[in-house]
Amino acid sequence: MSFRLHRALAVSWKEALDLRKNPGLLASMLALPAVLVLVPTGVVWAWLRNPDAVTFRSMALYYDPTLPLNADPVRFMIDKLVLDWFGVFLLMPVFVPILISSQSVAGEKERRTLEPLLAAPVSAAELVLGKSLASVVPAVAITWLSFAAFVAAVDAVAWPLVHGPVLPNGMWLFGVGVVAPLFAFLGNGLAVLVSARVGEARLAQQLSALVVLPLMGLVGGQLAGWIRAGAGYYAVQGAVVLVLDILLIQASVRLFDRERLVSRWT
Amino acid sequence: MSRIEVRSLSKHFGPRTAVEGLDFDVGEGEVFGLLGPNGAGKTTTVRMLTGLLRPSSGGATVCGVALDGDGEALRSRVGLLTEQPGLYDRLTARENLRFFLKLHHRDTKQAWEAARRWMHRFGLGGREDDRCGTFSKGMRQKLALIRALLHEPQALFLDEPTSGLDPESARAVREAVGELAAEGRTVVLCSHNMGEVERLCARVAVVKGRLLAVGTVPELRRQTGVVEVHVEGSAGAAGEALGPIVPPCVWVAEAHVLRVTLAAGVSIPDVVALLVQARVRIHAVLPAQRALEDVYLELTRGSETEAT
Repeated sequence: MSFRLHRALAVSWKEALDLRKNPGLLASMLALPAVLVLVPTGVVWAWLRNPDAVTFRSMALYYDPTLPLNADPVRFMIDKLVLDWFGVFLLMPVFVPILISSQSVAGEKERRTLEPLLAAPVSAAELVLGKSLASVVPAVAITWLSFAAFVAAVDAVAWPLVHGPVLPNGMWLFGVGVVAPLFAFLGNGLAVLVSARVGEARLAQQLSALVVLPLMGLVGGQLAGWIRAGAGYYAVQGAVVLVLDILLIQASVRLFDRERLVSRWT
Repeated sequence: MSRIEVRSLSKHFGPRTAVEGLDFDVGEGEVFGLLGPNGAGKTTTVRMLTGLLRPSSGGATVCGVALDGDGEALRSRVGLLTEQPGLYDRLTARENLRFFLKLHHRDTKQAWEAARRWMHRFGLGGREDDRCGTFSKGMRQKLALIRALLHEPQALFLDEPTSGLDPESARAVREAVGELAAEGRTVVLCSHNMGEVERLCARVAVVKGRLLAVGTVPELRRQTGVVEVHVEGSAGAAGEALGPIVPPCVWVAEAHVLRVTLAAGVSIPDVVALLVQARVRIHAVLPAQRALEDVYLELTRGSETEAT
């Protein structure tokens, strides 16, 4: 069956309409970005209210024993927080597509809309692409908007001490511009894959969301000082996720087999 | 000319046989009834003929496309009304229809006008911008039917099209089916409503895992009729004379009246010949006029008897 972009776009159009009319899902999509922007901003704000040099130097020395004596430990800790927070920030482009795709794929089964859809001349690849676009595009857009809000908030709070912008920096720009979309495809691919196998949107969300556990583990390693994050570290993460994305897309297209879906879920 | 040609069509799900060896043709502009009890394989058959399931063996040609051929071409030439309307509840009626028009690459003003005409005809005029979640069961059914018609398919497969409809709406749907057939479209109708099938269908197939019978309603009546034979002496003794008949026929004796249910392929002369051979004296042979429902029940029950 030949691939037609207009059919994939039609699927995306329908998914976007459906999403716009689902206030519950929209609210859960926006809750995580709000937390991921407000928490580090609040931490920086709290630090700057009482920037005790001795306490901050001992904290900074835990992460970098070679910290020069003339270095500002508060600035060091702000930079460290911002650097490590990117690992937490990546939860957003993973989690938002999981919320959307689980609804759009397993939701078709729950609402019994799958059979008429599969009876239309639309291929598995068109369905997967259409549904993926409808979840990855909002996820990346939310990530970028949240990043803009994060930059504005952190810079506004840190300005009295730093007297200049903390963000954006090269690592964050690379991370948000390149690595975050790859993570969005990862969240989407997992959700599509799991949704194609289970019959309930909620179960699909719960199972797909398990992917955040290794990410949280990595962030924990960073906070414990075992993993030193940086542009290279996130680039390696991005490369690994790119490979996973390709494998997940191939598996998703295979799982969107009409015979399999119709005989199991309608 | 046949628009649907089904040859030895079979479908197995693992060790379970859903349908086995179906053979029938449906012509252009014909309304064809597919009857059978729940689980008889009607939905599986329709799903195979609309490209949703692959046959395990055998095959079919629908609108000139073989089932193992171009699935995209097949699905663009057929329309399917599924048992569940399957509408997107948060979307309006207009958005639901436009989505399928877009998938068929027909999202034009002309196509939307045609959709609006159908909506008015089915009493949905003015509800275009209402969410489908607010629609009653009957309204949803009618909208799903419009969705199946939007791309002007050559063949329409309708699963219980009037289920849940009020009598007025049901009549509107039946009239529409008649008109679609008059335009040359082929309609395959799965229904448990025998009156509807009798009114609408030129021919009927009765399936129960396999094809039990196919033909016009009068042909089915003849094929599966009941005949009353008035005999001299005990009707029970006369019934014993039907032992050698193949396939076996069910008979009931009441005093001098022997009621014989004719199995598929057995005709009244076959019964009379056996009775005469057994020197039964016959006073009268009266074929019973029967409703399609009786014919259907007899065919499906008969297949159970054979199976056991």
